[in-house]
Amino acid sequence: MKYVLIFGVALGAILLFLLAAASGNTALFSRHYALLLGLNAALAVALLALIGYQLWVLTAKLRTRVFGSRLTLRFLLMFLPMVIVPGGLVYVVSLQFMAKSIESWFDVRVDNALEGGLNLGRTALDLLLTELHDKARRMALDLSDKTPSQQVVLLDRLREQAGIDDALLLSSGGNVIASASKGVGKLLPDLPNSMIQRQARQSRGYSALEGEPGRGLMLRVLVPLAALSIAGDERLLQLLQPVPPTLARDAEAVQEVYRDYKELSLSRQGLKEIYILTLTLTLLLTLFSATALAFLLSARLSEPLALLAAGTQAVARGDYSRRAQVTSSDELGILTQSFNSMTEQLDDARSAAESHRAELETAKAYLENILANLSAGVLVFDEQLRLGTVNYGAGAILQEGFDGLKGQTLADWPRLQPLARAIVEGFKQHGADTWQQQLDLAERMLLVRGSVLPRASGGGYVIVFDDVTKLVQAQRAAAWGEVARRLAHEIKNPLTPIQLSAERLQAKLANKLAPEDSATLSRATATIINQVAAMKGMVDDFGEYARTPVPDLQPLDLNALVREVLVLYEHAGALVRPALQAGLPRVTGDPTQLRQVIHNLLQNAQDALAGSAGPRIEVETERAGNQACLRISDNGCGFPEAIMTRVFEPYVTTKARGTGLGLAIVKKIIDEHNGAVRVENLPGRGASVSITLPLQPESAKVA
Amino acid sequence: MSLRLLVSLLLALVLGWSAPARASNIEISRIALEGNDEGYALDADFEIEFNPRLEDAINKGVALYFEVEFELTRKRWYWFDDSVSRQLMLRLSYHALTRQYRISSGALYQSFSTLPDALRVLSRVRSWQVLERAQVSAGADYQAGLRMRLDVTQLPKPFQVSALTSREWNLASEWRRWPFRIKAPVTEIAPQ
Repeated sequence: MKYVLIFGVALGAILLFLLAAASGNTALFSRHYALLLGLNAALAVALLALIGYQLWVLTAKLRTRVFGSRLTLRFLLMFLPMVIVPGGLVYVVSLQFMAKSIESWFDVRVDNALEGGLNLGRTALDLLLTELHDKARRMALDLSDKTPSQQVVLLDRLREQAGIDDALLLSSGGNVIASASKGVGKLLPDLPNSMIQRQARQSRGYSALEGEPGRGLMLRVLVPLAALSIAGDERLLQLLQPVPPTLARDAEAVQEVYRDYKELSLSRQGLKEIYILTLTLTLLLTLFSATALAFLLSARLSEPLALLAAGTQAVARGDYSRRAQVTSSDELGILTQSFNSMTEQLDDARSAAESHRAELETAKAYLENILANLSAGVLVFDEQLRLGTVNYGAGAILQEGFDGLKGQTLADWPRLQPLARAIVEGFKQHGADTWQQQLDLAERMLLVRGSVLPRASGGGYVIVFDDVTKLVQAQRAAAWGEVARRLAHEIKNPLTPIQLSAERLQAKLANKLAPEDSATLSRATATIINQVAAMKGMVDDFGEYARTPVPDLQPLDLNALVREVLVLYEHAGALVRPALQAGLPRVTGDPTQLRQVIHNLLQNAQDALAGSAGPRIEVETERAGNQACLRISDNGCGFPEAIMTRVFEPYVTTKARGTGLGLAIVKKIIDEHNGAVRVENLPGRGASVSITLPLQPESAKVA
Repeated sequence: MSLRLLVSLLLALVLGWSAPARASNIEISRIALEGNDEGYALDADFEIEFNPRLEDAINKGVALYFEVEFELTRKRWYWFDDSVSRQLMLRLSYHALTRQYRISSGALYQSFSTLPDALRVLSRVRSWQVLERAQVSAGADYQAGLRMRLDVTQLPKPFQVSALTSREWNLASEWRRWPFRIKAPVTEIAPQ
């Protein structure tokens, strides 16, 4: 666009110069004047088209609200009057001036003077011609009464007398009869052509002024001579006389000026048109180029602003990569540079924030990961004790999905009320201090630790809890083992002396006492001995519990072992019904210890069936995955609900007699076999104890 | 006024200068292209429709240039057309001092005391040697063309501007074209 305009303006300048030069009086371009006019007009049209195009572009930009286009329009509206007003003024003034000055060239007096001058010249020439004609007639009269030969002689003399330059005598055929000339060097006389001769003969004379280029004006007169006889030929006398050079020159000059003046006055309209046309074309070219230039300049002025605006919009959209490219050294350049540096700073700040956020997110994810993989349960509450975050461990420990609990205050929890109450209570009691508490829920034991989050990090509370049921059980088991060992050790030792002493008392004193006393003694000693024996059994049981050796694990046919034990119970009061799965793979176990387990369980079942009608014991074995399951069920009284969780603890019993070590021992042995034991009350009546034992690795594979 | 001029100028531009040239006010009434010793000479009669405007211009001393153009072309399918062209420039002027009209062509001139006499001579072209023998090949088919026009570009500039828009200044004939066949020179080689 810029180059098109520059080219157009340069071309316009050249063409205008040529046009102006051609409008002047040089002959150089005048032949191509029309072409030049056409070219200029074409250029004007082209520039107009250019302006139209620019206008169209600007309108389109305005319509689509391109930023900067309004500014362009404003610049344009400012520039245009600066172009149009001076141009128009100069044009109008020039036009007026030109019209006036052209009119002032023409003056009636000058016209009349020139006309008069020309007439003067004509009259002078006519006078000369008339004079020459008279001379010719006189000469013809003188010559006419002479013989042809005399005429030849006389001609020169007559010419001399009349002061004529050239005299010529022609025959009727047009041939030269005699020639007399003033100059010597002139050989060939100037002959009149046949038309002149004919005219001279017909109208009895011919006189004319002949202008020959380069030779000045010449007066030519022809007169016929009177014929000597009727039959004689009619001769013609021609006189040639040059017009005096000064007169000729002056007349010629007047004629030239007159002609120029006439031509000028005739072409006055055309001349005005030329100047008007040239001026108009100049005006149009100037205006159009200036307008196009104004367009260009406006666009250039508003362009950096548009760039800046685009940059601003990009920044507003969050795109910091756009940099406005302005390389001017003025205020706009400085503005752009500041904008660019500002954008850069924004970009840096944003990327820093971004990386910071990413770091935080990573840290958070890391923490969340840790929380999720923590076996401990974590609950986070806000300041109003509304539940915020729950980790996986909490759900797993409490077997709770926490659906509908999140965002609820603790007091409003529909479930887990004991825990909720304990937490509220804990925070109420300890205030901002960290507290720890063991919580005995119905089915499990929790160690709950509560702490207040610092106010700086938003405040709130965090609860961490662990399922310590197993730990407590293990602790109890260990404590009971210790008790049992002590008992066995401390109590057993005095028992034997007590028994022996009682027997000795019986043996020594029985015969020395009266029969009543003796009977009393015997009863007392018997009681002592029996009780000591019972105490011994009890101590043995404790000792056994405490001393359970490390099992000697070996492949074992569980079914065979069960059958072996069942033989002993064939004649017991209860009906024992075995349901053993055939082809049960071998398990890993210590046969002696497992035999005791089965014994204990069967014993328990028997005890539970005491006094019930239709006692029945079912013994089942089956495979469950890579484990073998042994279940012993009875239809007895079952376990009281109160001791269900502590049924494997020593000294927990419902029997009138018994140490309460039976199930404890079972539990201990099975734990050492890497198995599991579970007790449950059957629906209706009875209870069932299930034991799972791992299968022998090879047999598990084979099966 | 200047606007009207400009508009018509633009119009003329658009129409490719063709509008003024359309007016044919010179008719070609007779053409004869005759062979002679040197080649071919053209005789032609024109009927020039002179208008008062031109007459006035002549009498005010403006010289008019009439150009007679002759053109001989031969179509060639394999190359540009073969063409020969000749121009004859006739200048008609008025000498106010001697009150004579003058027709000049090169160094030659003829004077006339009245304009009709001068125009009569102007409209008669006689023995215009247009072709030399060597320039044309015998037996070929040629197309000859002739026209006469007032050469506006030789006018003083103000008249040129007027001529751009006024048809009075545009004196021209249409191209008159006719087929022209050079007689084979067989007859000259074998005299009978």
